[in-house]
Amino acid sequence: MDLQEKLEILADSAKYDASCASSGSSRGGQGTGAAHQSGVCHSWTADGRCVSLLKILMTNECVYDCAYCVNRRTNDSPKAILTPDEIAGLTFEFYKRNYIEGLFLSSGIIVSPDRTMELMLEAVRKLRKTFHFNGYVHLKVIPGADQALIDQAGLWADRVSVNIELPSDKSLRLLAPGKTKDTVLRPMNRLAQQIAAHKDERRSIKTSPAYAPAGQSTQLIIGATPETDREIIKLSEALYGKMALKRVYYSAFVPVMKDSRLPALREPPLLREHRLYQADWLLRFYGFTADELLDEAHPQLDLAFDPKTIWALNNLDKFPLEVNKAPYEEILRVPGIGVTSAKRILRARRAGPLKLEDLKKLGVVMKRAVYFVTAGGKYGGLKKESGDAIKLKLLEHKNPNGQLNLFGGEQAAKEGAEAAATGQL
Amino acid sequence: MRTWLYDGSFEGFLTALSLALERPEDCAIARQDGAEAGLFSEFLSAGRDPARAAAVRKVIETRGSAESWQHARYAFLSESPGAETAILKYVSLLLEKGRAAYNMLADDRVRAVHGLAAKVGGEAHRFMGFVRFSELADKTLYSRIEPDHNILPLLTGHFRARLGAFNWVIHDARRNLAALYFKGRLVYAPLDAASLREDAKESEVRKLWKHFFKTAAIKERLNPELQRQNVPLKYRKNLTEFTE
Repeated sequence: MDLQEKLEILADSAKYDASCASSGSSRGGQGTGAAHQSGVCHSWTADGRCVSLLKILMTNECVYDCAYCVNRRTNDSPKAILTPDEIAGLTFEFYKRNYIEGLFLSSGIIVSPDRTMELMLEAVRKLRKTFHFNGYVHLKVIPGADQALIDQAGLWADRVSVNIELPSDKSLRLLAPGKTKDTVLRPMNRLAQQIAAHKDERRSIKTSPAYAPAGQSTQLIIGATPETDREIIKLSEALYGKMALKRVYYSAFVPVMKDSRLPALREPPLLREHRLYQADWLLRFYGFTADELLDEAHPQLDLAFDPKTIWALNNLDKFPLEVNKAPYEEILRVPGIGVTSAKRILRARRAGPLKLEDLKKLGVVMKRAVYFVTAGGKYGGLKKESGDAIKLKLLEHKNPNGQLNLFGGEQAAKEGAEAAATGQL
Repeated sequence: MRTWLYDGSFEGFLTALSLALERPEDCAIARQDGAEAGLFSEFLSAGRDPARAAAVRKVIETRGSAESWQHARYAFLSESPGAETAILKYVSLLLEKGRAAYNMLADDRVRAVHGLAAKVGGEAHRFMGFVRFSELADKTLYSRIEPDHNILPLLTGHFRARLGAFNWVIHDARRNLAALYFKGRLVYAPLDAASLREDAKESEVRKLWKHFFKTAAIKERLNPELQRQNVPLKYRKNLTEFTE
């Protein structure tokens, strides 16, 4: 099997991992390569996802038989393995040509978790030591590997991750025999401790080595199991809080494998995935809690509206907000105002009072915000505030032809593109 | 009405800016090769005066801030029609209001320059990803780009930091200007790319990359519209993975 065939097999098996980030690290120095604090996207594939790293598996052989996974033992697709030299060499050649920011290395389990982790570490060590490579490395940590090996991962990589995949222990036991919540959370916990300890040490001793400077992330598969959005977002909230994770990725389940334990989906639940990302953004950058977004009575995110709009409609008593007076934290909660425009509002109002027509110039999406703000006492929304009336107005904007298309992938794609471009909600 | 003409260089522009600021309300600035004769305008040549250029920079940085200077510089690199006069109005506002102008984000004079600067900064960031090098027979890395704005000066620091161990060339074919990085030294010069010879192994690496790129798309999620927003068609002819 030549290198091209191997690369195809191992890129094909790795592509379902949603993480593409190359941000959060500013590695550099002698040798070749550097990381860029805000990350760099190098291309976008035909599915509209960003390519910033050479995302491959070391091998797609695996001792596990997880029902959702394309690399499960009982799937008799062609198998391949790359040697540490091949991985390091390929990364370096691609990097040199500015195709990529670095490497994202994951793997099926070959022989044992320890052996797998050893080989992966060898590839990254080679890249760092033989090629003197200072670009970005995201290294997947293999659950069940020895603690000493797990500890090494953060010394070589910028980002480390352990995928939870299924949002509950029950689902894991059902679909991933051989894995439990504990086997996944243990290495995650260990990495969190190591990251925190090294950070502490670097505060006092500047020359001590960086440990996973871009932090830790994980991934959840959406729609393969019956967990509600509330359960998922609560889990993410706990991971951001207790484990200090940098990112939780959500991956709409793509039914590539047939299995009686899996739901028969016609297509991946992309709109739901998109709403979860929006809710996740609200947790990380907008000061919302999971309980504010979803409660026992409403455990699923609304598909027709983004979660911030739903929250605002359920809390109309807090609106409209006077943009010339309200604190930053409250302005952030207005639909149509994102982090950038909220900061601009704060700066601009220091120079003088803002009028309604100024808001658009500051980047506020007025077709949404207009119902929730006043400027100098002026209100441009509906005369009689009513959640339902506002909802209808917002829907008009979404579907100028009057057609309701709540479940179409098109809206998700469109909104996804907007969100990706601006990060705004 | 006076129009100060400059030679196209940044220093020339700053000289013109400094002269125009003496009577900003009835001045405009234009490139000497691009200005259209106006009936009511008097055309004057600004020349190049390093002392004036340095002085106007200092004024922008002290009356405004380092950020104001960067906005003005980026807006100039946009090469958009009217950028020069927009910068003139912006700087004259800075002189009039000082620090207060720094926060006037809803003011049209500020927005015009911030908008241009954002376009330039955005394209420069995009090209940190979109530059594609090929290895030449002498192992120099060569890249051809055709950006809308004159972003080449904003890219060199980035590539110097990561590819300092190599010799490399980034060639803006649209402006026929190349940044040549050779043995640790950086120079800008026009370049004739016709004589460059690729390394024999280059097509193999390119093929590997193209296969990787094609494989990485999930077919159940195809979304060419989203791909087009992120990789506009105009950039694709210089992107290895989008060419035959």
